[in-house]
Amino acid sequence: MKPETTVIGSYPVKYDNIDLMKSYFEEKEVSWNKYVDDAVNDMVNAGIDIVSSGQTKDPFVHIFMRNIGGCRIRDRAEVVGKVEYKGPITLDEIKYVKSIVPKNTKLVGLITGPYTLAKSCVDLFYNDCKKLSFDLADVLAKEAKNLERYVDLISVDEPFFSVDYPAYAHDLLEKIFDDIKIQKRLHVCGDVSSIVPELLEMPVNILSHEFKASPNLFDSFKEYDLSKNICLGSVRSDDKRVESVEEISRHLKKGIDIFGEKIVQLSPDCGLRMMPRSSAFQKLANLVRAGEKIYG
Amino acid sequence: MFSFTKEQNIVDISGIKIGGQPGKYPTTLFGGFFFKGEPDFIEAKKHLEMMYKCSKKTGNPAIADFFVRKEEYIEKIIDFIIKNIPKQSPFSIDIIEPDLKIKILKALSEKNLLKRTIYNSIHVGTTEEERKALKKCSPEAAIFVAFNPKDKSPDGKIEVLENGANLLNTGLLGIAKETGIKKILVDTAAMAPGDNSGASIAAIPVIKEEYGFPTGCAIHNVVEKSKWIEDIGFSKKPVDAASNINIPLFGGDFAIYGPAKNSELVFPMVAWQDILVAEYAENYFGVEPVSSHPRRTLLK
Repeated sequence: MKPETTVIGSYPVKYDNIDLMKSYFEEKEVSWNKYVDDAVNDMVNAGIDIVSSGQTKDPFVHIFMRNIGGCRIRDRAEVVGKVEYKGPITLDEIKYVKSIVPKNTKLVGLITGPYTLAKSCVDLFYNDCKKLSFDLADVLAKEAKNLERYVDLISVDEPFFSVDYPAYAHDLLEKIFDDIKIQKRLHVCGDVSSIVPELLEMPVNILSHEFKASPNLFDSFKEYDLSKNICLGSVRSDDKRVESVEEISRHLKKGIDIFGEKIVQLSPDCGLRMMPRSSAFQKLANLVRAGEKIYG
Repeated sequence: MFSFTKEQNIVDISGIKIGGQPGKYPTTLFGGFFFKGEPDFIEAKKHLEMMYKCSKKTGNPAIADFFVRKEEYIEKIIDFIIKNIPKQSPFSIDIIEPDLKIKILKALSEKNLLKRTIYNSIHVGTTEEERKALKKCSPEAAIFVAFNPKDKSPDGKIEVLENGANLLNTGLLGIAKETGIKKILVDTAAMAPGDNSGASIAAIPVIKEEYGFPTGCAIHNVVEKSKWIEDIGFSKKPVDAASNINIPLFGGDFAIYGPAKNSELVFPMVAWQDILVAEYAENYFGVEPVSSHPRRTLLK
């Protein structure tokens, strides 16, 4: 079966700061929709099957920490009180995305993982990463439930798992996904070769990793019986050079050799926020073309 | 009433001191000119005289804030400043359009007026070209508008000062450093009614405690946009003027109070509030008001 093309999350954005300031001077409500439009339209025009909102308003940690009770953002994200759910975080944006994409385009709801949030902020309240992570997971479970009605897939992004894997990682994911019936994906970028067995036990349907930047992962996964489906990272998100269709095709063939039909999604290695927009678009377009070339 | 644990920065702009612990210096009042239409210099002169008269009477420093809307007005407004603002007194230049801001910096530099200029303002819409112009033609002081379109809370205002909320490659304070502007006034960015407008007042003590910078805002703008007031007799103007007392009440240092023609309403209200704050601050915190403070000039 042909894998679907998708994204991990973020997309490049260039803010019109003068326009934002005009909204202040004219006392009008600030709208971020045009940035969502740019990102989503690029994904759709590149031929991506499952699109995200592009996470254009804020970086992936700030999106959540700005909207969770007990948290604030000053120079950095800070936890200053008990973490609590204040209301939907990304729901309005995903509803907007649903209203602008063609009917056959699928959506991925993005959730930055609790461990990554906990490790990325300044904790001035808990002084206990585990407790903070679990309270964040409670909040994110509610957000996942909100999103479930509007998206086809929920993806939790936990880059910190690759640098400092916590013993309670599985329980965090279980807390978020326990009541979720749609497809569930865990994205961990970086070198995950040392935690492959743990990842294979995660309560998700799909594992997503950066196989293009870390091709050694093919060998790491080869050693195990694969119980999960794979979202194959196939273009780099840390290099603005656009991979050719041929180069991506070779990568996909390598992936098929290892994972066969377990590959259900093709994506960039990670979010594309740091790329120039033209590179990001071309990477997606070439990914789609390579997928068509290999899978027909 | 407030007293801050952070050491407070007092800026001296052409003889006007702004900042410090509440109760020390009177609230500085920025009266606006030329908001709409063709600049009317005859009217402006009358309002300027009235504003300075109110300032002399109460002890609250007055600073004329000139709104420049078109390039063709630059020369005329600068000429008006030279002829009508007392020598050595500061004034502020209030412009939205980045290109126009660059042009007026050059014009003020040519007329040797930058030492008296308060640049209104630096914010997330400040362009790279404007930053270069500010480096070349540095004004004596600048107002930094802590408007964060992502977060209008006091924390969001700190975020934009610190790191530009990911909208800029630096925070607004980074721009101050880069352009060499040392005299920093923070405007807490009053929002439209219902759009977290109260946060501009709540942010005053937060920012003073965090940084010690002289802080204020144009809270009257919230009243200006409160349409419901227009249905209640003659209340709009007094409510507009009265809104300014929130600033000293919350420990602030300056109010940008709108049209200078409102001076006769604004100055006594703010002076009255300054007296109240100063009484408490002296009795409770031991902060002595300066000799020009309304508490000294009006309560003999």
